[in-house]
Amino acid sequence: MTTTRTLLLIIRREVLARGRSIAYLGSAALILVLLTAGVVLPQVLGGGPVTWEVGALGEGNDAILTVAADIAQDRFDEDREFSLEVTSYDDEAAARAALADGDVELVVVDGESLLRQGAVGFTGSDLQETIQQAAAVTGLDEQLTATGLEAGEVASALRADPLEVTTVEQVGDGEEQQARGFIAYAGMMLLYIALLVFGQWTLQGVTEEKASRVVEVLLSSVRPWQLLAGKVIGIGLLGLVQFGLTVGWALVLIRLTDALPLPVVPLDSAVTLVLWFVLGFGVYSVLNAAVGSLVSKAEDAQSVAFPVSMVAIVSFLASFQVLDDPSGPLGQVMTYIPFSAPFVVPIRVAFAEITVWEHALSALVALAGMAVLIRVAGRLYAGGVLNTGARISLRQAWRSADEVAAGSR
Amino acid sequence: MLEIDDLHKRYGDTVALDGCTFTVTPGRMLGFLGRNGAGKTTTMRAIFGLVRPDDGGVRWKGQPVGRADRLRFGYMPEERGLYPKMAVADQLTYFARLHGMDADDAAATTARWLEEVGLTDRAEDKVEALSQGNQQRVQLAVALIHDPDVAILDEPFNGLDPISVTTMTRILRERAAAGTTVLFSSHQLDLVEDLCEDVAIIDRGRIVRTGALADLKAASPHRRVELDVDPADAERLTALTGVIDSRFDGQRHVLTVERDTDVVALLRAVSTDSPPDHFVYTTPSLTDLFTEAVA
Repeated sequence: MTTTRTLLLIIRREVLARGRSIAYLGSAALILVLLTAGVVLPQVLGGGPVTWEVGALGEGNDAILTVAADIAQDRFDEDREFSLEVTSYDDEAAARAALADGDVELVVVDGESLLRQGAVGFTGSDLQETIQQAAAVTGLDEQLTATGLEAGEVASALRADPLEVTTVEQVGDGEEQQARGFIAYAGMMLLYIALLVFGQWTLQGVTEEKASRVVEVLLSSVRPWQLLAGKVIGIGLLGLVQFGLTVGWALVLIRLTDALPLPVVPLDSAVTLVLWFVLGFGVYSVLNAAVGSLVSKAEDAQSVAFPVSMVAIVSFLASFQVLDDPSGPLGQVMTYIPFSAPFVVPIRVAFAEITVWEHALSALVALAGMAVLIRVAGRLYAGGVLNTGARISLRQAWRSADEVAAGSR
Repeated sequence: MLEIDDLHKRYGDTVALDGCTFTVTPGRMLGFLGRNGAGKTTTMRAIFGLVRPDDGGVRWKGQPVGRADRLRFGYMPEERGLYPKMAVADQLTYFARLHGMDADDAAATTARWLEEVGLTDRAEDKVEALSQGNQQRVQLAVALIHDPDVAILDEPFNGLDPISVTTMTRILRERAAAGTTVLFSSHQLDLVEDLCEDVAIIDRGRIVRTGALADLKAASPHRRVELDVDPADAERLTALTGVIDSRFDGQRHVLTVERDTDVVALLRAVSTDSPPDHFVYTTPSLTDLFTEAVA
């Protein structure tokens, strides 16, 4: 029986057994529902009219409030209906009472100061910002008028066009550059999220045979590394499908609802992104399988998950440095480490800071790393098979692999 | 022929196997006996390469056992295990295919084995939904699904009800008759006596008796005598020459005597007026042989 045939059988079992499980189908459905709700609901619910409630105390507030209403109207444009409701108070006590009751967010006093109940929250106050802006414009307007200019001249002076920007460097146009940067960054984030979410699957999946103790029957006809490789590929495929479905559906929703501006992605960048996403997913799946080999129960898998997460986190954080300096020493080194390459290479490709040769070599190193790691994992697995205890050390597993005859390795 | 040749295995200070040697013959069943921890499971694992012996080896048809051979072996390990969430039929088909069958063959064999172990109506149920006895039937079917040349079964009768035991023995008899080399371990000596032509008795990692059960019995220096006798006569029996052991087994009196003991004299010693209603003179039972061997 050939290795390929054995592998295909194992992969097939993993995909069918897990892919048809309620857990898998349920989580896929749940993600799609949540995603749809997350994108569509704000669009539906957020489309209503906006009303800002502001108080006025004393004289000289009208000019500021009129300008503020204009600015806000500009901002909301056609998207949403906007109205500014102004309530006038006779004395400060009434204004304070209204603030305390939450009738108005703030009170403009004599066109000179603002009164509010508490401090501005973490997210800031759009109303307060707009009033400040309006006050500045009104102030400027008064000063300009004082110099004797006509009203029209003042208006045109205030409506200056923004500065025109021209890029000097001729590496594609600016928009494409921006798109490349975006996709490299998005790729990094997506890979990181996928590793966090789906890494556990592989880790727990490889303990399945030991936990159910079917492993002894299996290993009488299958090599440990074949079993592991089959499981990694099978579970990995399911993870990729679910993740692909999620991302794909998110893109469709965003397109349909125009919730976010999506850049047009250059083809080579997109291909690199997918390639390295799969490679990265593979590398970390194999790493998870290797540490999963050390435990015999799914409950114990948590205890060995930490080192893998650390590797992912460090690679992820370090690749932010590479975003700033794609061809620096750090970027160069990380290109050839299988665990960090999936984060770094797409960035370097996006900024055209890697040669085809470097790129190819890096992919080869990642593939070779996976091949070596799966063998190591197979050995550790074989070493721990007859150990039904909680968890064995790396050294123990490696050593006791010698206890297992070469024939079954 | 499956030859287990001088296996040695040590775990730290514990000696698991200390020169374990015996032979299993095609078409015959060998009962592998020994107390707990005597080395039975280690020997079986060594046959499948799950344990690497420090010394010695396992040969099949004169050659060291390799991967290709093992694909033609069937194994029911001591640690029972199946995929709990997989349907019974799917499970059997999977193992059949892992042993090299194509999809059609595997499906046909699965149907045949479901019939054989009486689980046809449970084919689509998950294994975890089956009773322990039925899970064990599936386990047996997994071990034999590919019509192996050699079947190695670790305690196949453990925890089975009498009906399941009957099914299991019928299947094993059929396999052996079809030419399969069958080796199984058991503590149920009556069953082994009933089922096996050959036995191997292991004690502290070493084979202390092996061969055809009939030969071992004949070669024993002892004979077994069962008889109905009153307690006073029993006292007298113990004193006779050639009587090694005398005990009451709950039903009747059982003596272990030297092979060349004069039976007539023995009978005369108890039957003053009439002979006892029950009198059996025979070779030792397997239990006797076993007790004597591992004493």
